[in-house]
Amino acid sequence: MTSSTAQAEIAPPSAADNQRGVTRRILARAWSYTEMKLAAAVFLLLVALTLFGPLLIDASATKMSVADKFLPPLFMEGGRLPHFLGTDQLGRDLLLRSLVGLRNAFAIGVVSVIGMFILGCAIGIYAGYRGGWVDVILMRLTDVQMSIPVIILAITILGMSRPTAVSIIAVLILASWPVYARVSRGVTLAERQKEYVRAAKILGASDLRIMVRHIAPSILPPIAFVAVLDVARMMIFEAIFGFIGIGIQPPTPTFGTIISAGTQYLLNAWWITIVPGVLLALALGSLNLMGGVLERARNHILQGGE
Amino acid sequence: MAFAIEFFLRRISQGLVIVLLVAFVIFTLLRIVPGDPIRIILGPMTPASVLEQTAKDLGLRDPILVQFGRFVGQVATGDLGRSFIRGLQGGSAGGSQDAAGYNPESRASVAELIGTALPYSLQLAGLGILFALLVAVPIGMAAGLRAGKWPDRLGLYVSSLFVSLPNIWVAVVLIFLLSAKADLLPAIGYRGFSYTIIPAMVVAIELSPVMIRAISVSVAANLGEIYYDVGMVRGLSRWTMIFKHVLRNAAVPLLNLFGAQMIGMLLGGLFVVEYIFSYPGVGMLTINAVFQRDFPIIQAVAILASGALVAINMLVDFTSTTIDRRLKF
Repeated sequence: MTSSTAQAEIAPPSAADNQRGVTRRILARAWSYTEMKLAAAVFLLLVALTLFGPLLIDASATKMSVADKFLPPLFMEGGRLPHFLGTDQLGRDLLLRSLVGLRNAFAIGVVSVIGMFILGCAIGIYAGYRGGWVDVILMRLTDVQMSIPVIILAITILGMSRPTAVSIIAVLILASWPVYARVSRGVTLAERQKEYVRAAKILGASDLRIMVRHIAPSILPPIAFVAVLDVARMMIFEAIFGFIGIGIQPPTPTFGTIISAGTQYLLNAWWITIVPGVLLALALGSLNLMGGVLERARNHILQGGE
Repeated sequence: MAFAIEFFLRRISQGLVIVLLVAFVIFTLLRIVPGDPIRIILGPMTPASVLEQTAKDLGLRDPILVQFGRFVGQVATGDLGRSFIRGLQGGSAGGSQDAAGYNPESRASVAELIGTALPYSLQLAGLGILFALLVAVPIGMAAGLRAGKWPDRLGLYVSSLFVSLPNIWVAVVLIFLLSAKADLLPAIGYRGFSYTIIPAMVVAIELSPVMIRAISVSVAANLGEIYYDVGMVRGLSRWTMIFKHVLRNAAVPLLNLFGAQMIGMLLGGLFVVEYIFSYPGVGMLTINAVFQRDFPIIQAVAILASGALVAINMLVDFTSTTIDRRLKF
């Protein structure tokens, strides 16, 4: 028993080591782009702001103050400290509201992408590895899921109940796992034929062990790079849900509710809608640029480039 | 010909199963998620006994499978049912005026409601795709033909920028700039074709990044193929090669993309954009239906949307197998 496990270790580490080398080369290649460094810097700055900003600014994201309502941002005439980006229709500080909204959006985006990545890849690897009727059923299931537009699913579930962060994350995972299942199944089909998998099998490794210890580590990193782009997509969905009124409920600030409330005051106080959006676009832009560069670097390395 | 018949028979039967399952999922979700339509139909002042009686009359207290069976039978005869809420004139009825009793005949048929809204949605979708192509084709082609050079980077920047602009925000910014400030175009509601333009721009900004990326990747990939070098060696000009061969071969992955990704995105985009602009299409009809618990409308739209997705994917697969016979179905 012990000897067979020990032997099973022999073949796989080489594949996994090789994969680790590839991952490192992709990251190195990506880092060589100026865009990557710039995007990473903006991203880290924003993360730091969402974490420490609320401690440094002497104002409240939820406390209303009628005397301070409709204050313009500092760069306009009439703006005053501590309201760097002005205040909204109820006198709440817009920078703080945006930062709290950004923090919630980040959290929802990251957690939901991790969830859909794990669920989708687990199903995909299982389907690809087992093949046969298991594969057929699971893939038809992805067909069904992909034939329901995300927005219809989301408004059906969230619009009928009181939405919470948990139910929003659940909806996003439910709507988006099939893409990961498809991709990881495709790669698993190819990977299953490789020598190290057969070697592990001959050496007596269980199916579960082969899937978790051998196939997953070698196929997941390239998929994970692209998942960065999905974090941004999920953040946009979170904003849309908030706008329609099926996102996290007030008084917790979200971009969707900030933007939708501000539309009523567009002519006199345009900054309520426009300014928070710039911050959100900056966050999404840095994520998308990083994701885009990582994807290019991955394609470059996987196609045999240095 | 035999090929086409076999293809369609097989795919249509698969497609019907998928649509049926989607319908079942949405049907079940509507009934297990909290929110009782009866209360909205009859209004808050109705006694509990009347509520229960109406719910029973409408069949909403039967087991879900029974309800679903009845629904499928009804749809199979071409009847999508009647709205719970919307009156024959299209406006929202319901509430206290029905407290005395609910008469389903006083409600608009779902097929008619969707039939009225659909042309608006198609117009918006068509114009949106047109705008997106106008932006994406030149940028994507340039990026693909000059991979690694500045047009390629431009493609990366433009698509990263557009994909980072949330449609709700773009919509409000465009309303502010083009409508409120400059007074160039109308924005909210619909009273003529010009009301489609700003919403279509928002749809286009959402669609174009995917198009740019797909066009540039598939054009660049084809330039790297051996047939391209062979053509050049045979003395064909670069432009002949590009227009006669590269574009044709690049079209297959593009078509696939249109089916798999774009239609889903387009549907989602339309819903949100129509809601923001109060544009009287299917999206706004559906979102309002959700807030009013108007089950028949939601069910019908879900069936039609997934049916459209399945049908378009089928056509796309058929077209790509005709362009490139090596592909199997």
